[in-house]
Amino acid sequence: MKAHLFNRRHFVRAAGTIVALPALESIGFRRFASAAAKPAARPKRAVFLGFGWGVTEETWMPDKNVTGPDYTLPPGLAPLARHKSDFTVVQGLSNKFANEAHWGSTFWLTGANRYAEPGQSFHNSISVDQAVAERLGGETRFASIQLSSPDGVANGHGPGLSLAWDARGKPLAGLEHPLAAYHRMFSDETLPLAQRRAMLVQKRSVLDAVLADAKRVERGLNKTDADKLDEYFQGVRDIETRLAKDEQWLAVPKAKASLAEPKLGLAGQDEIQLMYDLIVVALQTDTTRVITYRQPVGTLLGSLGLKIAAHDMTHYTTGDRLEASQRRDVAQSQLLAGLLDKLKATKEPDGSSLLDHTVLAYGSNIRTVHYLDNCPMIFAGRAAGLKLGQHVVLPSHTPLCNAWLTLLHGLGVEAGSHGDSTGPVKELRA
Amino acid sequence: MRAGCLLVCVCLCSALAQAAEPVHARLDETQRAFFKDYCAECHGAETQEGKLRLDDISFAIESVEQADRWQKILNQLNSGEMPPEDAKQPARERKTELLDALSQTLAKARKIIGDQGGRITLRRLNQREYRNTIRELLGVAIDVRDLPTDGGTGTFDTVGASLFMSSDQIEQYLALGRRALDESFARASGQQQRFKTREEAEVVGNKRMDGLFQSTKEHHDNYARWAAAVDEAAKRPENLAIAAQLRKKAEKPRPSSGVPYATPLLFYHDWEQLRGAPSPTQFGFQDAQAAFFDELQYKNNFSYYTDYQRLPGRDSGAWLLFYQAYRETYVSAGEKWPAGRYTLRMRVAGNNAAPQERRFIEVGQRGDDVSDFTVLSAHQVTGTLEQPQVIELAVDVSTSGKREYAVREKRPNSRKAEIRSYHDEFEKTGHGPVPAVWIDWFEIEGPQTAEHPAAAWLRAATRDRAGARAVIERFATRAFRGVRPSADYLDRLVALCEARRGMGDSFDDALKEPLSVVLASPSFLYLREPSAEGKNRRLDSFELASRLSYFLWSGPPDDDLLALAASDALQKPAVLAAQVDRMIADDRSRQFTSSFTHQWLGMDRLDFFQFDFKLYRGFDDSTKAAAREEVYQTMSCLLRENLSLRRLLKADFVVINGLLASYYGVDGVSGDAFRKVSLTADSPRGGLLGMAAVLAMGGNGQFTSPVERGAWVLRKLLHDPPPPAPPNVPQLARLEGKILNVRERLRAHQEEPQCANCHRKIDPIGFGLENFDAAGKWRTEDIYQRNGKTRKTWPVDPAAAFYKGPAFKDYFELRDIVESRSDAFAQGYTEALIEYALGRPFGFTDVELATRIVNRARDKDFAMREFIHALVASEAFHSK
Repeated sequence: MKAHLFNRRHFVRAAGTIVALPALESIGFRRFASAAAKPAARPKRAVFLGFGWGVTEETWMPDKNVTGPDYTLPPGLAPLARHKSDFTVVQGLSNKFANEAHWGSTFWLTGANRYAEPGQSFHNSISVDQAVAERLGGETRFASIQLSSPDGVANGHGPGLSLAWDARGKPLAGLEHPLAAYHRMFSDETLPLAQRRAMLVQKRSVLDAVLADAKRVERGLNKTDADKLDEYFQGVRDIETRLAKDEQWLAVPKAKASLAEPKLGLAGQDEIQLMYDLIVVALQTDTTRVITYRQPVGTLLGSLGLKIAAHDMTHYTTGDRLEASQRRDVAQSQLLAGLLDKLKATKEPDGSSLLDHTVLAYGSNIRTVHYLDNCPMIFAGRAAGLKLGQHVVLPSHTPLCNAWLTLLHGLGVEAGSHGDSTGPVKELRA
Repeated sequence: MRAGCLLVCVCLCSALAQAAEPVHARLDETQRAFFKDYCAECHGAETQEGKLRLDDISFAIESVEQADRWQKILNQLNSGEMPPEDAKQPARERKTELLDALSQTLAKARKIIGDQGGRITLRRLNQREYRNTIRELLGVAIDVRDLPTDGGTGTFDTVGASLFMSSDQIEQYLALGRRALDESFARASGQQQRFKTREEAEVVGNKRMDGLFQSTKEHHDNYARWAAAVDEAAKRPENLAIAAQLRKKAEKPRPSSGVPYATPLLFYHDWEQLRGAPSPTQFGFQDAQAAFFDELQYKNNFSYYTDYQRLPGRDSGAWLLFYQAYRETYVSAGEKWPAGRYTLRMRVAGNNAAPQERRFIEVGQRGDDVSDFTVLSAHQVTGTLEQPQVIELAVDVSTSGKREYAVREKRPNSRKAEIRSYHDEFEKTGHGPVPAVWIDWFEIEGPQTAEHPAAAWLRAATRDRAGARAVIERFATRAFRGVRPSADYLDRLVALCEARRGMGDSFDDALKEPLSVVLASPSFLYLREPSAEGKNRRLDSFELASRLSYFLWSGPPDDDLLALAASDALQKPAVLAAQVDRMIADDRSRQFTSSFTHQWLGMDRLDFFQFDFKLYRGFDDSTKAAAREEVYQTMSCLLRENLSLRRLLKADFVVINGLLASYYGVDGVSGDAFRKVSLTADSPRGGLLGMAAVLAMGGNGQFTSPVERGAWVLRKLLHDPPPPAPPNVPQLARLEGKILNVRERLRAHQEEPQCANCHRKIDPIGFGLENFDAAGKWRTEDIYQRNGKTRKTWPVDPAAAFYKGPAFKDYFELRDIVESRSDAFAQGYTEALIEYALGRPFGFTDVELATRIVNRARDKDFAMREFIHALVASEAFHSK
């Protein structure tokens, strides 16, 4: 069934997109209004951070023989020491279909088989964040936010525009600069309400016009081309959904970011740090509940004064490359520790911390060099009922998607499976 | 006429389909013994561990499931997990052969299974095409960096299946289109004022330098008087002992500072311990520390400033310094000036006393720091003080970007490099680097007001509904590349315009709304070629015109092409061929030579790392840009002159400008224009293998990488690509921490079958290129150094042999062997061309087409344009 053959607004309802109606009478009094949030039960949030080219295995992975809470943090994770009871390091997870030694993110959250479709050289499926967004995304201004960085291939992420892939396995575009992310989430409309309402009507007419042309273009296309053009229709539907949300949220000002507008041209460490800050503010203001971030690696090295190409660094041997690889690990862990600091320090209205209501996954599909098994994986936060403060070593080649399934269940998403999952991981449950 | 064409097409297609049928991927039966010998014990007739039986497994790989199973087997072998440690192990050679055969067969199988069967997926304009199309349509250059990056799947950015669309993007198209229309309307209205401002260098520069000269001198005089007074006090009997102590302390070398002449001055730091010594404040210094630094400035820089005072031409201009003080001169477009194309102009002269390689300037924009300088262009300074030269270039000033432009002497973009160069020169000659470039003035003027046809399309005959409708229809037809918009669509656009007018917009502003919608509509964004399921169809003339123009220009068809499309004359082979020649001769074909070549040769690697300025001072951003340009310009030259593709493998000429000539040490070339220059017979340059850009990609900015280079040659020149890097191959750790030359290091690759099966083909080619350093300069010695200290050198040994192929004793013989394999090169080039032009991955269904193109080109000694003519004339190019 081609949805766009029907009336578009009909579709918005038909697609079952949950656009919760804000309780209008109360909204004017809430500063960080979240449409349907009741102060009693704080919403759950999920954050996924992917860093492309793996880690320095020898100094990042804890000793496999010491599991449970009393393991020793290796140097690569040392900056996280103050949070040791709030995260869990997991070993033994892999995506069984992963064969591309330079693709650290393409299938990280999906577990798809690149070659599953005959007649195609590339295939992907829905990423776990989008599966979460389907459940958690309806009540916020943005169902999910994709943060990204340019040059995915050079940064060891592989194909894709962000970590996220939609239900049809198409890449979701990411906001590649902190400034763009800031504007998307926090820049306020300055026009008066009546005019904004008129603008909404006008925007709908614009969509009606491009759809009139799209329908003409669609005529006579074969299936492949119609599928391709469907991205455009989907794009229009997404704008439509957003407009519908805008309409509900018209009287609600965008959340105020407790953060100044970022400068242009930040790179590497500063850029990641700022994106992390934006993540905290986005969650705090309930602007969205699902965020992915495809982190830069090349510019991170540059900002650490390391001139080496990111890929070359991963082929480390003792000397400059190993040192670069280790410094990268430490810098990334420091940044993550800073993010955890902030999530802890940010208090929810009920006095609990933001981290209590967030689950955070941090890792890559590449372990180290060209190794794709035993993916580096850290979970933090209490939103998904995961067991924290642990070093968990699972049987080798446990599907990474089993961990995603566990996370989905923990967040209240009743999924039967995700990717190539075979069942949830009980060792990860609190 | 049309029916005839269709008939021919159908016959050809079925013939093609038959010819391309028997393609299979099958592992050679000779490998069967391996599985029987080493796997069958656990995976055989008796036991099938993991439900896998390998002794009688089918060697044909025809389905996704079979490929996945073989992938698993390959992965197990590569990771060393199988055969298990306690089982019988295969001999190294046998395992190498199996891995080689299996990885190649599997790569082939993946290609066959994934073959799209010649299907061209509907494609949208990529970033470049969108930018060019807007420029052709409206005469406006817009910044497209807000659009998401294209590609990233390892294919060309013209491959429709790899180009996506999202809601964000549609909104960006609306916004960018609106921005372009705003600018275009402003230009068309003719209301644009022109602006100009000029900076006189002597006013800024000489004042600065004179001031520095004076103040440094004064500080030094004061310091000398203070030091003399302190010395005087030190002579007092009660101070003698402590003074001796302090002098001894001051002489201690301070290893961390690295600043020369520092030590004796330190004595005066402790003046307070000497009874009766005067305070530095009495001599105008804030404290001893400040006095110390001022004196250090004097010691380090005063001769630099004094030398400056002696330079000629200071009455009318100023000299740009290499280090400190007057590095750059600036000019800014005013804040209120409209966005648009402006002219930057500067009058400059070179200093004959400065080495030739320093007589270059860079025009760019500066960030917060000296080393944060974005180079826009580099220019050779050939003028003299007697006869200065005016350099002119165009820049696009946008509403949001920086408006200040700077000019400076060309240099590595690093503060450290600057300091180092200065001190090296100082140590050698006792003087700082002599200023190389004199500048009289620097100005900006604009915006340029070239009349663009858009001005006519956008003008409404009557400023009412009917007038708006006419403009919208005209504009949409143009934007849709000759295809008229539907009436329903037009009605909606007119209604949009009316609604805006109702909201109080001016006529022009109201008109911009529907026009920006046109620029976000699918008919504009996609190259539409409808076709029935499973059937090929011949393109109509307008579709053909677009396919051709996006192939050769990365932009829309122009008036000539559209006229030929309207009359269907474009379908005539002779007319079409003539258009191809015209389009190649047109400047817009630079879009093809640069974008296609960049992607075909994988040149994005050039930006993956920074070059170590300590080792390669000459390979700065400007040189790198020129080296990159050399590759594109060579392609353009070969196409323009219709020379043989073989000239990319070996040539007796190069296409370079003054900057590269200086880098390569080729005499008699000056100026910024690239041109064909003959080489002497013994030159290693000429052909891709001798190009700095190609050689620099084959390294990491510090060391050469024979692996990168060898793999590149196999992939791009010899059409024998190594399989993708396999996952989970154990890393070689044995050589850690040892200082080894490149051959010693890579010998380890031959020890493990998992490595050897590919590296025995890759590494030897890389060895043959070792005479070029990591920035593409010729060398005879390889140097290992770390932390700036030279540790070890080795003579370069370029002799090696192709795997199961001929040996070569040096680079020149290697190049000859590569050149002799031009058939393979032509095959790879043709496949890339097909993929780029048709916008879909090259598949096994295209083998026949590629063969025909290569054959036709070979008849003309691989003349460059033959490939393009053959492709454009092919059935595939005319079919959807």
